[in-house]
Amino acid sequence: MNYTKQIQDIAAKLFAEGKIDVFVGYRLNGFDDNQVPVLITDPQDVSKLVFTDKSVFNLVNYLKTDHTRRKRIGLVVKGCDSRSLNLMLTENQVKRENLYVVGICCEGVVDDTGQKMQNCTECVVPDAVVYDELLGTSGRDGSGRDGSGSRDGSGSRDGSQTHPYATTHPYATTHPYAATHPYTVNVDIAALAEKPLTERAAYFEEIFENCIRCNACRHSCPLCYCAKCCIDQETATLYNGANTTSAAFHALMTWSLHLAGRCVDCRNCEKACPMHLPLHLLHKQNESVIYENFQEHLAGVIPEDRGAFYKYSLKDPDDFIM
Amino acid sequence: METEVKDQLVSIEKPELIAPPNWEPVIMGILCNWCSYAGSDLTGTSRIQYPPNIRIIRVPCSSRVDPWFLIKSLQTTADGVLVSGCHPGDCHYITGNYYARRRFLVTKKLLNFVGFHENRIQFSWVSAAEGPKFAKVVAKVTEDIKKLGPLHLYKKENFEKK
Repeated sequence: MNYTKQIQDIAAKLFAEGKIDVFVGYRLNGFDDNQVPVLITDPQDVSKLVFTDKSVFNLVNYLKTDHTRRKRIGLVVKGCDSRSLNLMLTENQVKRENLYVVGICCEGVVDDTGQKMQNCTECVVPDAVVYDELLGTSGRDGSGRDGSGSRDGSGSRDGSQTHPYATTHPYATTHPYAATHPYTVNVDIAALAEKPLTERAAYFEEIFENCIRCNACRHSCPLCYCAKCCIDQETATLYNGANTTSAAFHALMTWSLHLAGRCVDCRNCEKACPMHLPLHLLHKQNESVIYENFQEHLAGVIPEDRGAFYKYSLKDPDDFIM
Repeated sequence: METEVKDQLVSIEKPELIAPPNWEPVIMGILCNWCSYAGSDLTGTSRIQYPPNIRIIRVPCSSRVDPWFLIKSLQTTADGVLVSGCHPGDCHYITGNYYARRRFLVTKKLLNFVGFHENRIQFSWVSAAEGPKFAKVVAKVTEDIKKLGPLHLYKKENFEKK
């Protein structure tokens, strides 16, 4: 997967036509072949842009900063990123007419160790669902997809379109950082959920104990766009800001419940976490509960779909209530 | 941290080993103003006895209950939480409890996933005419939590520097 040339051409063309003020893409980090996000404002700099399978970060995160808020933006999105963009559009955080979206038919990105990210091996929406221009062809390798995704451009510019892969649903099995961190050795979420309560309690206690409360997970999440976050309250009456296991439990649980039904599993939080905590477990747990009980689609795939907590059904399960 | 985890283990399996003598659970009861709170009022005015372990908070609607209330309760003093609202279809605000129902299920499953016993987070529908039912619900929740013993997991005071 290498779209470096195409993306450079598109960015140069957009700058020449005066359609954008900023282009958000990836560049090499200067040390090795890993990449970092870059905001390009000068047309001279478009040669810095790259896109390969090391382009791991979710650039939609940069739409919530002051640098980009009132500007016209060109942007590169993979499948998962485009779903978070879809949610930001639905929640009126960005204006579609200010964006020029370069969608990618993603083949999966790799982590530091060169292995494919685990969420990519299970991805069911690899192609961008919101785009003005789509690079690559969909349904390439056939794993988890049927190749029938029509790409007639009907979803372009005026929003997005329903994705044909939205009907199947993956579960997490193993963790991409398994080799590098003891807390993330082969996290099998289904097996974990079936373990005795005491083992789960001990497992999560260790995770919460190792959280250093840097809030990088919150900052790296494209959907955590609140100007004032509830877990930043400095009055300890409402929220305990201390760096303790108990406070980390409180913060991470609150955070994951705010993202329940909205998380698109881009794993930007885990890439940002300095302690390599398997944060996706909380989101995946919520996602599986929502899918099993409410039959909700994947978040962000359907335009104007605001997620599970913004609607209800009379048939929702009621047997857990006395 | 080992001690807390061990405490939790003991308290699930053999509560009598960890519970102090004459220990009584503290249950946070979050009741909706229009049905359950009136129901609990009826229980009192009908002179029906129910366990005094419940500490009642009145909220406008069961959909006012942020999952964060439950997390905060379990993190501070409560050994268990009971959230109660109007029966489906009876909500004063028409659809509030339908939205709440979804949140309750996800919250309960998530708290259970990270190590809380499912009986520590309980929900009920109690209408304003169901005084006897409210007494039964509180009795059941109290009994369930007495069986589980005191909650030690993620308790704030266990982690504060002394």
